[in-house]
Amino acid sequence: MTGFILPLLLGLFFGFALNKAGLTRYSKIVNVFRLTDMAVLKFMMTALVVTMIGVYPLRMLGIITFPTVPSTYIVGNLVGGLIFGVGMALAGFCPGTMAAGAGEGKLDYLIPGLLGFLTGAALFGLTYDTVFPPISKLLNYGSTVIPDLWNVNAILVVFVFALMALVLFYLIDRMGWQRQQKKLD
Amino acid sequence: MNWIRKELWSPYAAGVMLGLVGIATVVFANTLLGASGGFENIAGMLGKAIAPAAFNNTYFNFVMPAQVTYAVILLIGIFFGGTLGALSSRTFKIRTMDDEQWKQAYGPQRWKRWLLLFVGAIILEFAAGIAGGCTSGLAISGGMLLAPAAFLFIAGMFASGILTAKVIYGKRY
Repeated sequence: MTGFILPLLLGLFFGFALNKAGLTRYSKIVNVFRLTDMAVLKFMMTALVVTMIGVYPLRMLGIITFPTVPSTYIVGNLVGGLIFGVGMALAGFCPGTMAAGAGEGKLDYLIPGLLGFLTGAALFGLTYDTVFPPISKLLNYGSTVIPDLWNVNAILVVFVFALMALVLFYLIDRMGWQRQQKKLD
Repeated sequence: MNWIRKELWSPYAAGVMLGLVGIATVVFANTLLGASGGFENIAGMLGKAIAPAAFNNTYFNFVMPAQVTYAVILLIGIFFGGTLGALSSRTFKIRTMDDEQWKQAYGPQRWKRWLLLFVGAIILEFAAGIAGGCTSGLAISGGMLLAPAAFLFIAGMFASGILTAKVIYGKRY
């Protein structure tokens, strides 16, 4: 029973953050692809930087070990991302924001959304043996992270990544790297 | 405590919160956040109840077992996290379609929105399967640990997302 409490709490805070960032709305998601509202990108990049600053020093000090990292198989990661972007721009949600949005009382997220995710999950699971192994074998580097793969100092990679994020935020917020939204009526 | 009642936070503030959740997930649970995986587990459980023979395969037995996993509990947490967020800003409301911009993009018909969300969700979940995760389980969770997989996924997602939005919005992009 106690095993349920931690994931429940983590999920609660995750869903809460998605709600407060406004990601449970069609407009927020699609407008990042129209480059007229970069909130999704700012939210994601901030989260990445905060976590890597928190976990990499702990790992280097030997206090923690990383859980299994998502595997890198270049073709599958890229092709999956390409298909994913079509669905995301079309529907304006993704699996996580659908769950949080359904919790806000959105029946369009809860009913067709949930049914669609379950249908997609069944389709993938039933075709897994034919679809997945060929793709995941191509250019497979396994479960790895950039500092290990390229054998560079992790603190340096984290520092460069954080700097890139700050430059990006500066360009968006101060240099107007964002398109004006056209009138839609 | 006024900030907690605000409907929208700065994306940077909400991002810091997610980042802290990310640290807690790695340090205390020694696992990662995710969403699409939980749907696979649930689909497996439903599938085994409806068509046990078809769903008795490697995938639903071993890869994404048909049972209540950590990912399923996480998904339930995300759902109620959305509820708490909406209650905190008094925006919780049962509704069937409420996005103004959606109506401007696709028209006001409810069936059309419900159909497109259904189709979109199928595409998303299948794609997440191929990629090895979704926005939460791969882009965010992998990215925060600097996995190359995450950045390949994000690049693909933005490239096709921008293109798809261009096609849908046409002259209004």
